[in-house]
Amino acid sequence: MNDLSRRLQRSHIVTAASQLTEQVPHARDLGIQVVLVDQDQVRLRLTPQSWMFAQEDTKEICTSILYSLADSAGGLAVIARVRELMPIATLDLRMDYLRPANGGLSLLAVATCRHLTDQIAFIDCDIFCEADSELLATAKATFMRNTHGQQFHSDGLKKNSV
Amino acid sequence: MSMTDDSAQQISRAAESREKCADWQALLAHIPYAQHLGLQVQCDDASVLVHLPCNKTLIGNFMLPALHGGVVGALIELTARVAAQSKDRDKRCPRIIDSHVNYLRSAKAQSTFASAEIVRQGRRSSLVSVTCWQGDKSKPIASGQVQLLLPTIAAEQEELHDS
Repeated sequence: MNDLSRRLQRSHIVTAASQLTEQVPHARDLGIQVVLVDQDQVRLRLTPQSWMFAQEDTKEICTSILYSLADSAGGLAVIARVRELMPIATLDLRMDYLRPANGGLSLLAVATCRHLTDQIAFIDCDIFCEADSELLATAKATFMRNTHGQQFHSDGLKKNSV
Repeated sequence: MSMTDDSAQQISRAAESREKCADWQALLAHIPYAQHLGLQVQCDDASVLVHLPCNKTLIGNFMLPALHGGVVGALIELTARVAAQSKDRDKRCPRIIDSHVNYLRSAKAQSTFASAEIVRQGRRSSLVSVTCWQGDKSKPIASGQVQLLLPTIAAEQEELHDS
């Protein structure tokens, strides 16, 4: 395989990963949109809805929504960095909620893969208010690569267990 | 200890558990996202649990299939929140400062349960440890610790004054 076709195949994998992210049932439920997928950075957007609020009487977004957004962005950042569609699993995720998130404004998650080993990916993710770029939350996560189970393929089919 | 003391203690524990159950249910009812996830409170004579019924919108990996890691995180955060609020004498609404979740096993597409243990309940903050499991309680799928900030009474009064 020459370099060009390898590059094309890799970009195809990233496109497939973006589509997969938007098709994940829970990501669809939250309305997560992929804004950018780069080898060094992934950006996801979430537009809040009233059922995402933390309280009936306030318009603050529930922290758990930011948590799900960070987990989704982190997972995609691993695949974007490795450029291979493979099953991954979150090992742990730590969130710091710096400011309350206004329910009227979209969230933007920016995730980067800080380091990659054969088995582990270390991820940082920041969540901003898209309108004023204010930092709302930070996340640190580790993912296990190549977890056992069915292998993903860019054509969406599944193969036997590893 | 005599038999009557034992049974009296059991009855009072069951009553306490029922009271806590109603308390948690009422608190969850005011959280729109908890309603969206379909969280329910369950209690038996000994403990109070939060039940997350399985729903196809909660799936994160449709090949396995497995629950989204964020859904498990949400179950942990929301359980910690009602546990801390229910424990507070003034039933102040806490704010989640941080949370740290460790994923222990794959979360299958099935009913998930969470129980909370208050590590420390202070006047200003609360640290809650939450464990999640599916079929077998001795095989937890995730555990997490959540730090919550309880608003000071003065700040609450100010808010009342403002509104």
